Amino acid sequence: MTILKNNSNQLDPRSKIILVMCISTLAVFFQNIFWMIPLFIFTLLVSIFFKSNFFNLIWKFKKFIGIFVAMIFIQSIFVSGGEEILKIGNFTLISTLGIYNGVSIILRFLIIIVSASVMATSSSRDIVQGLYQWKIPYEITFMVAVAVRFLPMLKEEASDMFISLQLRGVELEKLSLRKKLNIYSYLLMPMIASVIGKAGELSLAVEMRGLRADYKRTSFKTLKLRFNDYIIMLLSVSFTFLILFFYFF
Amino acid sequence: MNISLKDVSYNYEKNNLIPTIKNLNIDISNKGFTALIGSNGSGKTTIGKLMAGILKPTKGNIFYNDENIKNMSLGSIGKNVGYIFQDPERQIFAPTVKEELTFVLKIKGFSEEEIENKAEKMLLKFRLSHLKDNFPFNLSRGEKQRLALAAVLINSPKFLILDEPTTALDIRCKEELKDILKNLLNQNIGMLVISHDYKFIDNFADRVIEISGGEIKNDHFKK
Amino acid sequence: MNLPILINDLKFKFSEKSEYLLNGINLEVNKGEVVAIVGYSGIGKSTLCYCISGIIPNIKKGLMSGEVLINGVSTKKMNISEISQSLGIVFQNPDTQLFSPTVEDEIAFGPENFGVLREEIEKRISESLEIVGMSKHRLKNPKKLSGGEKQLIALASVLSLKPEILIFDEVMSQLDNDSKTRIKNLILKLKKEGKSIVMVEHDFDNLDVAERVLCLNNGILNRYNDKILEI
Repeated sequence: MTILKNNSNQLDPRSKIILVMCISTLAVFFQNIFWMIPLFIFTLLVSIFFKSNFFNLIWKFKKFIGIFVAMIFIQSIFVSGGEEILKIGNFTLISTLGIYNGVSIILRFLIIIVSASVMATSSSRDIVQGLYQWKIPYEITFMVAVAVRFLPMLKEEASDMFISLQLRGVELEKLSLRKKLNIYSYLLMPMIASVIGKAGELSLAVEMRGLRADYKRTSFKTLKLRFNDYIIMLLSVSFTFLILFFYFF
Repeated sequence: MNISLKDVSYNYEKNNLIPTIKNLNIDISNKGFTALIGSNGSGKTTIGKLMAGILKPTKGNIFYNDENIKNMSLGSIGKNVGYIFQDPERQIFAPTVKEELTFVLKIKGFSEEEIENKAEKMLLKFRLSHLKDNFPFNLSRGEKQRLALAAVLINSPKFLILDEPTTALDIRCKEELKDILKNLLNQNIGMLVISHDYKFIDNFADRVIEISGGEIKNDHFKK
Repeated sequence: MNLPILINDLKFKFSEKSEYLLNGINLEVNKGEVVAIVGYSGIGKSTLCYCISGIIPNIKKGLMSGEVLINGVSTKKMNISEISQSLGIVFQNPDTQLFSPTVEDEIAFGPENFGVLREEIEKRISESLEIVGMSKHRLKNPKKLSGGEKQLIALASVLSLKPEILIFDEVMSQLDNDSKTRIKNLILKLKKEGKSIVMVEHDFDNLDVAERVLCLNNGILNRYNDKILEI
């Protein structure tokens, strides 16, 4: 996660949460591509404003391009309607409706990802503090910090495991799909063992530092919502309601 | 077999002006025990990973005999060079010790008989026979390490790279590891051991290469 | 005056095992003492740490008889939060004790849990960082520190609760030589401040900082003798 220096113009993570939730809500409700495209452009602008790393994030999902392209085909084949663009025998491989629906799904995904990247511009400690000040119990909110800390570590471990598997002479390129899946299944056990192991060790360490102490918890750093935050929250929520109102009626 | 690094440079961050490894040239033969020492951050782990093809050099080339490993898949690299991670849990995958040794052979299509033979031989050699039906994650650290070694060696590589193998091992396990490595050396399997445990390396290494700041500071053959 | 640690005839086994792992442990640790406990891997050193720190029986369970008294009070009669105000424990793995995005957040975590006021937390953060020599790293992300530095922060996060007793469960086993030296020097410094320290080790080279060395073997503690574990 990006740790930004103490910037007095920093927005409270809670206003970011509201903003992201509003954008995601719209993305889920919109079915129409003509609403999604401006929403997507808006989301990109928001991310640029927050200087989030959305491009990197999208790049990480480039492996899923295959699934996206498949979406277009699946939508074309199984949903009837629209003009056929490509046909094989009686099967419509690509139709306008298919492209339309497939792209909608892709856009929805992208909107949610990009808006989520805005959350990454706050430190996990601030997000935890924000949620805690919203009265969510600390034992739950601190999980956010744990996830932020450990997910990248788990990713790296998975990568190492995958490498060591191949270094045992497994030439992936030469394997059939079935055998490939078999190999991947062997990664489950060590990953689960690793997660359970780490969870156990961490929970011991934090309990011994008072995680479940029966005291009123104080906070070293507190967050204050400022004028800019209230504006953002107000605008996000009211625009979302307005837009949804127009969308459905 | 010869592993050579020719003018190899490596940079962890693409924009970093100071590379982690600068213009390294090393030739290691697969005979004997080469120790790679150096302080934390000197680049020794990076060199080990470059040699095993885990990292690709930003400049320069790496050769096994005369073949550039640039275009070799990890699978085919693994047939020549085996790599043991510092944490043995990064290379244990199966629900039983025996299956750990057999599952890769099954994928590769060896016959039942061959698999059985190879597995039993390895279990014996690495003193794991009494544990063959155990759940690998319940083994002690020393036992896990032996399992990782057995699983890598069942593939018959001619060279091994070990990254800090003595971490968290007590004195008994270190002696056991020494015995096992000596055995392997006697079978003409060469090895590169990255370690800061000078005691372990001392009477053992044939060659000691010292790395500092990504460059070779010292390189001498003992004996 | 109560001893920081007094263990009387402690016996312990995990329920699913048939034999007792700890079979009559007796131990006295005086204020300001550094006691090392050595033994081979798997012999029960960590389990002993868990018993001393009250993790057993409060968090982990099993069959325990005998007693462990921390400042005169039995660990069976205290809960973890009471214990952690006098006793801190640092574990072996530098990567599974820290979770915060900055060093400062991590060190503040302990005192926050106990309702310590902000000015006091600030004081404790500065003090703990000063003791471990990591003041310059206050705003760094612990993820980016070396293994040795992570252990120093783990220690600082425990010190901010101002425990008089410290338990070190093989804290140096994954560190390189320079980091080990740094931790050893720190142990001597903490001893000078009157902390009572029990360090559990399997690496005999780490014993020079201890004034008393005991050996865990066959479930009991004996005076350590160079020959006892010779190969």
